[in-house]
Order: sequence, then C-alpha cells, then structure tokens
Amino acid sequence: MAKTSKNIVNVQLQLFFLSAFLIFIFRLLLGTSDTLLSKILFDSLIACSIFFLLLALIKFENTRSSSPLSLVMNVGILSAIMFFIIKFSDFLLPYLFDNINLKLQNPGLGYNIVSLFYILLFIGFISYYLLTLRHLFYLNQGKNVKIYFNTMLVFFVLSSLSNNFFQDKSVSFLGNTFFIVAVLLMIFNSIRISWMAFLSKREKIYLLILSLVISVLFIVNISSSSGDNIHSQIIDGFSPSLSQFNTIVMVYGSIYFFVLFFTTLFHLPTAEAYDRKAQEVTSLQYFSKLITEVLDFNDLAETVTDIALKLSGSGAAWIIWKEDGKLISLANKNIGYVESDKLSLQITERIEFEKLNVTKTLHLKEKINEVDQGNRFSIISVSPIKTRGVVQGILVAAKVDGQIFTKDDLSAIETFSDYASVAIENSRLLEESIEKERLEKELDVAREIQRKILPLKIPDYPGLQIASVFIPAFEVGGDYYDFFEISKTKLGFVIADVSGKGISAAFIMAEVKGIFESLSKTIERPKEILLKANDILRSALDNKTFVSAAYGYIDTTEKKLYFARAGHCPLFLLRDNDFKQIKPSGLGLGLSDNNYFDQTLEEYSISLKKNDTIVLYTDGVTEAKNEHLEDFGDKQFSEILRAGFDLTAEELSNKIIQEITVFSSNHAQYDDITLVIFKLQ
Amino acid sequence: MAEFSTSIKEKGDVSVINLKGFLDAHTAPTLENNFTQLIENNKYKIVVNFEDLAYISSAGLGVFMAYIESVRENKGDIKLTNMSDKVYNIFDLLGFPLLYEIYKKEEEAIKKFIES
Repeated sequence: MAKTSKNIVNVQLQLFFLSAFLIFIFRLLLGTSDTLLSKILFDSLIACSIFFLLLALIKFENTRSSSPLSLVMNVGILSAIMFFIIKFSDFLLPYLFDNINLKLQNPGLGYNIVSLFYILLFIGFISYYLLTLRHLFYLNQGKNVKIYFNTMLVFFVLSSLSNNFFQDKSVSFLGNTFFIVAVLLMIFNSIRISWMAFLSKREKIYLLILSLVISVLFIVNISSSSGDNIHSQIIDGFSPSLSQFNTIVMVYGSIYFFVLFFTTLFHLPTAEAYDRKAQEVTSLQYFSKLITEVLDFNDLAETVTDIALKLSGSGAAWIIWKEDGKLISLANKNIGYVESDKLSLQITERIEFEKLNVTKTLHLKEKINEVDQGNRFSIISVSPIKTRGVVQGILVAAKVDGQIFTKDDLSAIETFSDYASVAIENSRLLEESIEKERLEKELDVAREIQRKILPLKIPDYPGLQIASVFIPAFEVGGDYYDFFEISKTKLGFVIADVSGKGISAAFIMAEVKGIFESLSKTIERPKEILLKANDILRSALDNKTFVSAAYGYIDTTEKKLYFARAGHCPLFLLRDNDFKQIKPSGLGLGLSDNNYFDQTLEEYSISLKKNDTIVLYTDGVTEAKNEHLEDFGDKQFSEILRAGFDLTAEELSNKIIQEITVFSSNHAQYDDITLVIFKLQ
Repeated sequence: MAEFSTSIKEKGDVSVINLKGFLDAHTAPTLENNFTQLIENNKYKIVVNFEDLAYISSAGLGVFMAYIESVRENKGDIKLTNMSDKVYNIFDLLGFPLLYEIYKKEEEAIKKFIES
C-alpha cells in the first residue's frame, strides 16, 4: 500500500516537472508570442503544473496528520519567506538583468531559466497556501464543504483567466464580476471557523498572534505583487493569469487569517472556562475508567486528589482518612504530611467528621505556610467521602492567600468526592468478593484434607458392631476420628476436635492423625498415648489452639474398655435400659505442660457385658442448633440414648442423626458432627 | 451470625471484662484486642464476667489460653466468674477448672485479687 501511494506521488510530481519543462520549452520557442492560441496553451500548461503539484501535495499531506496549529505555523513561515524573497528580488534581479523591461520584450536563455525557477517557486507557495487553507476549511466538518471549496476554486480560475483574456474594456466587467464573486465566496467560506474552539488558552493566544502576523504579511505581499516592482513585473510578464491567481489566493489567505484572528479573539475570554470544562470532561472520563480498573485503594486516592487539585485550581489537596479510629492524611498533593496533619486538625476541630454532609469552605484561622512550595494557604474546601452513608474520609483542597473557591470549583470537587465514594466502595466490594472466593477455595481444600484423613472403612471385628457418622460443616470444624487395629482382639479408637475452623484446623487434624497413628502402634495404654500426644502438640500448636481428644481401646476377648479423656466430650455407656456417662478427668491437648497434664489425667477401665453400647461424639452433636438458636442439648441426647439401648449400633446412630436433622432443619449446621458407636454382641 | 461485644470497667486495680453474646472464631478477635490492650497498659489483674455470654466455642476458649501465660508471668491472673451452667460445662469438659480460678460471683474474684 505504502509503495503504491508513493508511486502515485511520484507520478504526479513527474507530471508537474513535465509541465514545468513544457513551459520552459514553450517560452524558449515561442517567446512572447501574443496570439490567443499561444496564450491558451501557455495558461493551460501553468494550470496543469499547479494542478499536479496540488495533487502531489495532497497525497503527501494525507500520509501524515498534522495539527491545524502547526499548519498555520507553516503558512506563517512560508509567507515570511515569500515576503523576503519579494523584497530581495527588488534588489538582486536588477544586477542580474540590466533592464527588466527590455528582457521582458526579448528574453534570453538566462532570463528564461531564472524567471522559470522564480515562477515555479511561487507556484509552490500558492499551492501550499491553497492546500493548507483547504485543510483548515475541511476541519469545519460542515455539510458540502467540498462543494463550497471547489466552487470557490472555479471562480478563482475564472477570475484569473479573465485577467488574461478579457483585457478589453468592453468585457473587463466579466473579470471584475468573477473576482467579486470569488471574494464573496472567500468571505462566506471564512466566517464559519470553529476548529480553534477546541484549543487550549495558550494555544489560542499563540494562534491569535500568528493569525494577525500572517494576515498582515499576506496583505503586504499582495500590495508588493500588484505594484510596479520587479516581482510583479516578472510574474505579470510571465502570465497575467498566474499573477491574478496568486493575488486571489493571497486575498483569500489574508481574509481567512484576518477572520481567524477575530474569531480567536472572541473565543479568548471564554478560553479558560472552556479549558476547565474540557479538563473536567477528560478527568471524569479518565476517572470513570479508573473506577472499573483500579483495585488498589492507594492508587485510587492518589488519582482523586490529583484530579481534584487540577479541577479546582487549588494549591494543594489531600484526603483525611479514618483508619483504625485515627485520622490520617492520605495522597497528599503539593503539601507535606506535617502541614496537612496540622490543617486536618484545624478542620476536625471545627466540623464533626461523621456529620459532614455537603461540600463546605472554611477560612483558616491559622494560615499554614507550606515549606516546599512557599504557599500560604488560607481557605480550604472539604467534601465528604461516604460509603454506605457513613463518612469514611474527607477530600480537602486548599487555596493560597487571596484566592477563593468559586461555585464551579466546589461543584467540581463535590462531583469528585462522589466519584471517589463510588470507586472506593467498588474496590472494597471487589476485595471482599476476592476474599470470599479465596475463603471458599480454602474451605474446599480443608474439606478435601478432612475427607482424606477420616477412615475409609470401618474395621471388621468379630463380636463387635461398629457404626460411625461424620457430617461436615460448611466451614470445616476440625473433627477427627479413627480406628487402630492394635491386634485381632484389640481395637483402638480416637475421637478429637481441633479448636478453630477452616484450613488451619484441617492441617492440625492431619497432624493429630499422624500422632495417634504412630503412637497407637507402640503404646497401648490410653493415658500414655495422650501424654505423649500432649507433649508433641504442646510444642507444635500456638498457645490459643488446642485439641480435645478421647482415646481408648476395646479388648474383645477380655471384654474390657480402657479409656482416657483429654478435654473431650464424655463417653456414654448404655447397659440394660440405663446409661452411664463416663467422664474421667483430663485437660485438652496443648493446654498445659506435661507435668500438670499428667497430674490431672485419669485413665478409666471397665469390664463390658454383652449388648453394652459405647457412644462417642463431638460437641457438634449436642450443640446442633434450631432456628431459635437453642442447642440440641445433653438432655435430648441422653434421652435418645436411654431409649436406644436395645438398638443395633447402626440403628442407634441413624436414630440420633435423624433426631438432630429434624431439630436443626431450619438452621445451618455450624460445626462438624461426629458420632462413633460400638456394640458388643 | 449472632453478635458479640465486650465492656471493660476498672474496679480498683482490677479490670473486669464483661462478655455479651456469642464468642466464637469470628468474634474472638474483639476479646483478643481487650486482652492485648490491658496487657499493654500493664493491667494484669483481670476478671472476666460471663454473665451475659450466651455461647462460647472452642476458638473462644483459645483466647483465654493465649494470654494466661504472659499475665501470670507478671504476677497477675485471669479469673472467670458468673458462668451459666451451659458455659461452665464447656469449660469443665476441657479441664479449664484445673487451670483457671472460676467463681460464682464477680465480687469473689475481685476480693481474691485484693487479698493476694
């Protein structure tokens, strides 16, 4: 694509040079022939050269995007160069050619070459002006811009040609008419300039000066082309049409830039307000984009103060933020933290932080000097930043001595503090949802750990029914139970509950499983196992975490139960329509050092009879809650047990779970529920 | 979930923390802050009144364990009072009565501090 467009530029440039060369040949061969045909041919050649140059320039122009201001600047430079060339031609050319008038009558080769280059240079100037004016005109984006401009160009050409062909007095009115129409069209096309409205104030001032200089230069250049000086003689002598075209383009230029000057002048008083509005719009756009993107609260705060500062034209801005009950300065702009803290103190002495509802201005009683910038602040505005109706912070903007906050300033700041509120709330909600998601993932992991820790299958012991139920809570509760096949006739069991919930509880469960699994292989006596477990866990757990556990074993030949309890729920023994709560003394694991733990830990043993039922459970059973937050309770639990002495282990566990489910059907399960039941046959 | 709140009042050089509501893993930090603050201010004679406490979970129990050592190292103590039967049972299950002095009335605990 790039290559082809370059080729096209080349083709047009080649055509331009070809027509220039033809002009040169024409001049050499026909000299100053005055026939109508030669006039027509010659003017056509000039028109061709301008046309091709314009096309080449348009192609070149399209390949880059330049701001209107830089285009105007280019025109200014070119018109200044043109001005100097015209002036210098008056001095230089007479030295080269003794008498211009003579040369015009009888041009030699030298004169022809020089004048051709001179003409081509001016064709270049004219083309560039025309192109720039076209570009500026097209910026208006109105309907039919192309038609307006091209109509004007047609009259330019008509007027130019009539200068050459209708020199006769009787038809000179035609030329004049064309010229007047062309000028009217120029004026019409120049009065609707709107592109400069979007410039900043500085650019407008720059444009104001530039357009004045350019229009003056154009007028000067016109007047020096229409006099009897060498410049006009050369061009006129070359082609009167070209001379006229040159003049017309220059007139158009001077009108355009003159109008531009006044339009800019009228736009100047509102430039500042316009700048501010424009900045407000861009800031709001930027900020609303930010709201959806920024996750970090500090980034957000920085942006809020930065934009508030620019929008209100303040000298300094910061946020007073409430964190852990203390007020701190945040995201300071153009003010040190020491000064902002002093000012914040003055503010909070005069207005109650929580009760700030709308943006207010305060005149400072003690003016504060800012060290770095040397500003002396005397007036400040304060706006609340609220989330869920509660004031979380105050956006403060300060102005230096002598300045005031206008209504616009205040509404801009207020808009911004509102935006800040929304943004901060958003980022907080996002953080919450991320946190929630993280927690849910964590709980998934915890549940997975727990599932793997608990026994896969219930061991098979002759003469012993075994049933176990485990119902996990949403937040993993840290319940653990296990069976250890010590020998063919001895079955060890453990039931434990780790304090705390979630993944940390799950990890401790894993540790507890490891401890009991290894201890049960080497030690038989429950008290000793719990002593060792306490020793290990005491050093492994932090001082607010502990594990309640009960360990014991059933000897099926001896028909005996050995049992010790470390802070865990008691064991129930169901025998002959009665039940017994077995609760030997013992501290939870990890609560105290082994010395004390040893002193308080009792071991219990009891001979078992046929049909004895042993029930172990965790507090999830007795603390299951109904919709009134009442516990399932020891009493209800014991009643089920008392009535269930003749049920099988499986039947009893089903009965208990059923009762709990009915009881707590309207309340979420808060803790793990674990139940282990043995029944001797 | 149910709410939990605490209030601290000074009785001589004894600080009394009143617990209200549900003390579990989620609300435990409130009580932890209370203990941390008291210890920071070198107040080691602490009585915890359970009168208005409706429920305590294992994580709630852990809070007392976390601070007892540093309090006792500074010749202070944490004494527990006014427990409902339900709350006492939970403490009892874990063997807390072996580790802590538990009194029926707040005044008894304060008196004990003054006597020592």
